[in-house]
Amino acid sequence: MIANAKIRHGVLLALLAWVWLTPGTSSRVLTAIAPLPAVQASAPQSPVGLPLKPDSVRFAIIGDSGSGDSFQYDVAQQMVKARATFPFDFVVMLGDNINHGHSAKDFSRMFEQPYQVLLAAGVKFYAALGNHDDPIECLYKPFNMGGQRYYAHGKGNVRFIVLDSNYMDPPQLDWLEKQLGEATSTWKIVYFHHPLYSDGRFHVPDTDLRARLEPQFEKYGVNVVLSGHEHVYERIVPQHGIYYFILGNAGELRFHNLKASSSMAAGFDEDRCFMLVEVAGDEFYFQTISRTGKIVDSGVLQRQQKPAQVSAQFKGRITSSASAFQSTNLH
Amino acid sequence: MTCRVNKPRAWMYFALAAGIVIARAWGGRAAAQNAVNPDAALTQDFEKRVADYVKLHKSAEATPAPLKKPTTSPEKIRHHQHELRVTIVSLRSHAVQGNIFTPQIAAEFRRLIGIAYQADARHIRASFQEGEPGTRIVRVRVNNEYPDDMPLQTMPSSLLLNLPALPPELEYRVVGRTLVLRDIGANLIVDIIRGAIPN
Repeated sequence: MIANAKIRHGVLLALLAWVWLTPGTSSRVLTAIAPLPAVQASAPQSPVGLPLKPDSVRFAIIGDSGSGDSFQYDVAQQMVKARATFPFDFVVMLGDNINHGHSAKDFSRMFEQPYQVLLAAGVKFYAALGNHDDPIECLYKPFNMGGQRYYAHGKGNVRFIVLDSNYMDPPQLDWLEKQLGEATSTWKIVYFHHPLYSDGRFHVPDTDLRARLEPQFEKYGVNVVLSGHEHVYERIVPQHGIYYFILGNAGELRFHNLKASSSMAAGFDEDRCFMLVEVAGDEFYFQTISRTGKIVDSGVLQRQQKPAQVSAQFKGRITSSASAFQSTNLH
Repeated sequence: MTCRVNKPRAWMYFALAAGIVIARAWGGRAAAQNAVNPDAALTQDFEKRVADYVKLHKSAEATPAPLKKPTTSPEKIRHHQHELRVTIVSLRSHAVQGNIFTPQIAAEFRRLIGIAYQADARHIRASFQEGEPGTRIVRVRVNNEYPDDMPLQTMPSSLLLNLPALPPELEYRVVGRTLVLRDIGANLIVDIIRGAIPN
């Protein structure tokens, strides 16, 4: 009897351990309790293509890329593959570019080697500083920061404003206001490391930073805000008429780290990914592609008509991987 | 003949009284102008100490040839940072905690941080939490390298708005509850205030 009971307990414990230790299963069990995201995907839709329109601005986005492991190299390979059909000119880096250490070897392992094909092809990288980056990385020429912690660059009808969200001091806030006030481009895209909105479990949104930045973004009609830091992908439901994206899993990953929320338009937390963007006229096309080459989110966003206007023409589609996240919650 | 002596009239008393009041007020104002606001004096003292440090930083930077332009060599950046730190440390080998954050200045900083927390503690705490929760806390020391393997804690904007401005060579950072004055180019801890950040 006692022996049987011990066996039963043993089997039960082994089963529990198996369920708990199977990758992702524990998260599934936990997230199954959580409510579903408000944005529902009725069925996986076909991805929205990138139109390759003449004179469009084409770029890629990576965030928290500097892991130096094989996953980062896989993503870099997918970027090379994507560039064969979608020739992007530059890459936007959302911080934590060199995530572990700061030696020359680390720069080589986490940046120069994985992206050597792109670098050799003349693709430029424009980096923002993350909390794992040393601010003197701004002196590293391939990051194109011009020796500045915060700076701006432009291409076609798009103005990019790059901030150092680690240290938002009054001089930087004044500089930002001046840049936004003087920008005459059709699109204003601001990017920095720490997200103002997020449904990641590990961090919380930086509401202090949000209180400083968002009024300026609204006042001067910022269209898109890109951030990293959370090691997941998330597209936020437009806030105050601004489109927010988080991409912090181009190298690092926090598996099943997203929590269901009404502010989430789409999310992906099961693998690494990067984004491709094409800005053509008043349209912002995007595709988010996983380490294995799967399109996990895509859509086209209409440029907001005037500052602080909530876009009624939001056309973002949730495709296969957004539903993958939902299935995570359903299981 | 009668000698007529004019008696002082009411308006004369009134004018005299008004004159006294104006004179006292004027004198008081001049005295106030001469007196120094103690908070402003502490800030001035801090700024002077910071300016002296920056002068030292610049003289140290002249030795390993200033790295002003971006380079493709991360090794060159790291080497320059190391050389600069070594030179500064040798120039201020006797530096101790409190050289810049004197006890009076440290008390003023605690007061300023307290004001920021009173205004918006929730957002400041959220910002710290958002920065890098669970980071190991190391004991930082003056004239030591800022730990190379430790992420830089995000500085809440509300806090920075309440602290005296710094020249571009320096920045404030927080490690645990310690406020750190960090030399960016040299990755050096210039001075610290322990327990500056409220729980």
